[in-house]
Amino acid sequence: MLEVEISGVKLKNPIIAASGTFGFGREFSRLIDLNLFGGISTKGITLKKRAGNPQPRLCEVYGGIINSVGLENPGVEAFIKEELPFLRRFDTKIIANINGFNKEEFIELAKILSPFVDMIEVNLSCPNVKEGGMIFGKDPNRVYEITREVKKVSSCPIIVKLTPNVTDITELAKAAEKAGADAISLINTISAMAIDIETRRPLIKMVTGGLSGPAIKPIAVRMVYECFQKVNIPIIGMGGIMNYKDAIEFFLAGATAIQIGTVNFVNPNAVSEIKEGIENYLKDHGFESVKDLVGNIII
Amino acid sequence: MKLLDVEIAENKMIANGIYLLSFESEYLANAFKPGNFVNILVEKDSIYPLLRRPFSISFVKENKVFIGYKVVGRGTQILSQKKKGDTINVLGPLGNSFLVDRFDGKVAVVGGGVGIFPLLSLCHELKKARNEVDVFLGFRSRSDLFFVEEFKEVSDNLFISTDDGSIGYKGNAVEVFKTKIEEENYKVAFSCGPKPMLSALKSLNLTFKCYISLEEKMACGIGACLCCSIKGKDGNMLHVCSDGPVFDIMEVEI
Ligand SMILES: Cc1cc2nc3c(=O)[nH]c(=O)nc-3n(C[C@H](O)[C@H](O)[C@H](O)COP(=O)(O)OP(=O)(O)OC[C@H]3O[C@@H](n4cnc5c(N)ncnc54)[C@H](O)[C@@H]3O)c2cc1C
Ligand SMILES: Cc1cc2nc3c(=O)[nH]c(=O)nc-3n(C[C@H](O)[C@H](O)[C@H](O)COP(=O)(O)O)c2cc1C
Ligand code: FES
Repeated sequence: MLEVEISGVKLKNPIIAASGTFGFGREFSRLIDLNLFGGISTKGITLKKRAGNPQPRLCEVYGGIINSVGLENPGVEAFIKEELPFLRRFDTKIIANINGFNKEEFIELAKILSPFVDMIEVNLSCPNVKEGGMIFGKDPNRVYEITREVKKVSSCPIIVKLTPNVTDITELAKAAEKAGADAISLINTISAMAIDIETRRPLIKMVTGGLSGPAIKPIAVRMVYECFQKVNIPIIGMGGIMNYKDAIEFFLAGATAIQIGTVNFVNPNAVSEIKEGIENYLKDHGFESVKDLVGNIII
Repeated sequence: MKLLDVEIAENKMIANGIYLLSFESEYLANAFKPGNFVNILVEKDSIYPLLRRPFSISFVKENKVFIGYKVVGRGTQILSQKKKGDTINVLGPLGNSFLVDRFDGKVAVVGGGVGIFPLLSLCHELKKARNEVDVFLGFRSRSDLFFVEEFKEVSDNLFISTDDGSIGYKGNAVEVFKTKIEEENYKVAFSCGPKPMLSALKSLNLTFKCYISLEEKMACGIGACLCCSIKGKDGNMLHVCSDGPVFDIMEVEI
């Protein structure tokens, strides 16, 4: 009932832990059963170890949080040696979220990682780094170019993660599809800012950061809906999913699977609650499978 | 570490804007070590505040857990209005703890403002390990004082200071501590308080070990989001929620 398929990879349910909000699974495994997830997208990985951005990296705003972690991570080698064997113990698909500072780095990362993981999520949308990330991801030509190159060297399916910080996200979706992407995921965080009126300083050291959480959900749903009209590859939708109702909205808008991020901080049990909620919804509404919901909005 | 729904036993104001909340939890009371904290969801299904709020466990008594907190923003404001019988969701115990041992010499405990909260149970344990404990507490003003009687019970000497001099020494806790360093042979110091206080402490270049408890904005509280990272002395990233909150003062950049 809950199984979905993305380019031959079967997810036992459509719920994936969103990159950057779930570390490498280890931390949450002390609290919840990682087998509950259809997939886990890892913290963004770079070739070399990165320290990330200075403090403060986090602030809370109405209905969401702004972060500027800046891709702190131990680098690809340490990931494969120290984190992957642990993650592999669970019955869930492992998606490596990769980040390069130029095209060559993306290619290198995909080459190194694709034999070890189930899928690769090419992050062309991180708003918190000066080079690479969103800078590439805003330009459909660069999205095409990088996707194509990464696709050439990868032995596993490629998901391209898109940024919402553009006028028309469907241009990016189309570019990714044309270049051979197996799926797209959206949305990454929305570029945002908040100011402390007492100190008159920005609440994030880097001045701007990425907004996630319930505040961005309507924007994310709209973007999934628009992309669903324009591409034929599966869409993985995310942005502000807090409960099963939010998840259903994403399926109706056109998502084949969903990712949950910020909610993990608030309610680590969210995955099991959302899973149960989706199941009940399907039964109550006479659907046989999640697949029946995808894009099934009535306009 | 567990996710628990607990029923508030008491939630009362104990000083100007300072509250003490307690609830029954056999699990937390037994698992707790001084320095640990919990992440409290002050309101279920709330989008503002959205995240959990981190608070130190001040002390435990039998199966009761006590949390002292100061009202500073919306989350703590909402928490302060909770009544006996209301339920809150608590994630904990989180973080590492203070090293408690029998130290061969005097121990100094230095606290400022809300940083005083995690130090009470520490003093209790230090006394239990048969140490001689000098406590230095700094408050803004006389009306902000809390836990004074409690600290008297678990210390050998208690030095109170206030920024405005309305009671005790005029100045901050580090200044008072500094005047005692030469006459006393401290073996170790423990501290928690605002950043400026901790950097003042660091600049004293103490010849003995000093452990501090740090605060940083937190989203997950368990080491997954990397929002609370700080730099260690070798440039390595440390996470306040999972590598800390307690650190050797020489091992971190403050
Ligand atoms: C490990 C740890 C232990 C703490 N122990 C105590 C304690 O025992 N007693 C106490 O009164 N306070 C303690 N604090 C500080 C307490 O977490 C904040 O005062 C509280 O989160 C403020 O929430 P608010 O909604 O009222 O304020 P707001 O300013 O509205 O909060 C906005 C955001 O900032 C975060 N935030 C604000 N101040 C802090 C801070 N100092 N540290 C981390 N996050 C912060 C909040 O969690 C929230 O996400 C501790 C903080 C940490 C990190
Ligand atoms: C603290 C934090 C760190 C993140 N790090 C990454 C990352 O490394 N790579 C990435 O592709 N997305 C990252 N994201 C974006 C999330 O994966 C997700 O796209 C976004 O948060 C929207 O979903 P949500 O509202 O459910 O959190 C991060 C988000 C947060 C909150
Ligand atoms: S709060 Fe998430 S890593 Fe520390």
